Amino acid sequence: MTEPAATVPAAEPAVGARSAWRTFFRQPSGLLAAAVLVVMVLLAVLAPLIADEPGGTSPDVLRSPSGGHLFGTDDLGQDIFAQVVWGTRTSLLIGVAASLIAIVLGTAIGLASAYFRRVDAVGTVVTDVMLALPTLPLMIMLAAIVNPSVWTLTVIIGVFAWPEVARLIRSQGLVVSAMPYIDGARVLGATGWRIVTREILPAVVPLIVVSVLLTASRAVISEAGLSFLGLGDPDAWSWGRILLNAQRSGVVAIAWWQTLFPSLAILLLVLAATVAGMRFNDIRDPRRNGA
Amino acid sequence: MARFVLNRVLKAVLTVWIAITATFFLLRLLPGDPTTLMVEGDMTPEMRAALLETYGLDRPLLEQYVSYLRELLHGNFGISFRQIQPVADILLDRLPWTLLLAGVAFLLTIAVGIPIGVSAAAHRGRWPDRLLQGFGIAGHALFVPSVAMLLLVWLGARLGWFPIGGAIDPDTRGLAAYLSLAHHLVLPVASLVLVQLGPYALTLRTNLIEVLGEDYIRAARARGLSARRRLWKHGLRNAILPALTLMGLQLGTLVGGAVLTETVFAYPGVGRLIYEAVGQRDYPVLQGAFIMLAITVVVANALTDLLYAVLNPRIRL
Repeated sequence: MTEPAATVPAAEPAVGARSAWRTFFRQPSGLLAAAVLVVMVLLAVLAPLIADEPGGTSPDVLRSPSGGHLFGTDDLGQDIFAQVVWGTRTSLLIGVAASLIAIVLGTAIGLASAYFRRVDAVGTVVTDVMLALPTLPLMIMLAAIVNPSVWTLTVIIGVFAWPEVARLIRSQGLVVSAMPYIDGARVLGATGWRIVTREILPAVVPLIVVSVLLTASRAVISEAGLSFLGLGDPDAWSWGRILLNAQRSGVVAIAWWQTLFPSLAILLLVLAATVAGMRFNDIRDPRRNGA
Repeated sequence: MARFVLNRVLKAVLTVWIAITATFFLLRLLPGDPTTLMVEGDMTPEMRAALLETYGLDRPLLEQYVSYLRELLHGNFGISFRQIQPVADILLDRLPWTLLLAGVAFLLTIAVGIPIGVSAAAHRGRWPDRLLQGFGIAGHALFVPSVAMLLLVWLGARLGWFPIGGAIDPDTRGLAAYLSLAHHLVLPVASLVLVQLGPYALTLRTNLIEVLGEDYIRAARARGLSARRRLWKHGLRNAILPALTLMGLQLGTLVGGAVLTETVFAYPGVGRLIYEAVGQRDYPVLQGAFIMLAITVVVANALTDLLYAVLNPRIRL
């Protein structure tokens, strides 16, 4: 068995919403992460108001960053700032949607494995196999065969991101299902379905919130990787696609701005989501507070 | 021990079999059949039927599956659409480069990660530790092509210290060839190690701190052993085994990273092949590359576990 080294707390303390938020914001990193995420969401939603959708060509080819073009221009004369802003939409959309698919699948499989012995035998094998395989080449193969679009990418990334979630939820679910109140519910005649959905699920919800953020950050990296390899939606801007354009046009060594700004965008978004996930984990497990 | 080895080998075979089976049926379930992927433009129904017959695609699915498995066992991965050549030959040409790149990155991550993890655990809460915590979290957010391109522009193009692409200078012979090989390897390996190192060292530190709280470490302290000796001799020895397994689990990510690094540096491995095959929509190559990389990762993972068993007396018994 290959269980994660992270310790999972045995019991969930009742934490009021207000003190939970206070814990989240107590460290400046929590506040900073939340601020970055809010700005990213605003950029994605308001993209059409901030910059024109990049397209066509202009004579301003390969300009370095200036007042007119904050992030410079590429070899077609398109504004990199506009590309990064519009790319935020794709990255966030795929990150969140793929993460939700993975969470639903992972939670269902993880909880079923934790409570039903027979499911566990199959579930653990499948999870271990999925974790052992190189996911990126697998996603590349499938993305190359279906028509790449935002939605097919979302499904492909979501469907291959669930094993980590399932493993996490299962290990926590095992702890919960060994508790006396679960035996109590069984004695009172509750069905397996009822116990899993009404008793165990609420106990792992805080862990699910943490995994949504961590899974979303992995999904953003996966999307950037697939787009970078030329498997992105040809009609949607994405950060990976900007990097691919730089690579294809052979301007990587000259136009540093074309690779730097989308790279910073990926770094910022994923870092913010990861840190926010860690701060939520602090709320979930007060023993880690201030550690 | 024999039983452990047998179990581990069976598990590896099972994993590869599931991967192959899942890809086979997944590809058949997707909309469209293989003929639409082979020929661009319009096909007459007769042409399509002839193609299906040539490739045995008109036979029942299960029969196709069995013959596919049989061919794979004989090392037949199909024929590349674009370079009319067996996929297996193309892959075997490229695989050594990926093994070299990923293997060096794997060993280097462990070799550099251990001292970093140990010194962070020894100076818990002070600056080496804080630095590692920051670096470890940032590691999850680093995108391999970003790091690779940064190194390429800065150390390759600007300073000219390292070549910006390829794996070897074809005009070199003997010792010079080895030096050229190493020289070309520096930047691709560095991109992978920079991404893997932080999270790896951070987990090692956490393991080590846990081990250092154990009774036998306190007993060692009571016996008057120095802090240095407790850490390096007693602590590390017990933390290093989980660290090895952990690196084994990272192999899938490492191979994914190699695909991206090879693309940036035009390194002639399986990853660059995948990038080229994506551009040409060469499906047999993509499928073969996935299976080949899956086998590589599973075998390497099994070897790591067997090494663990050799090093760990509790399993050796």
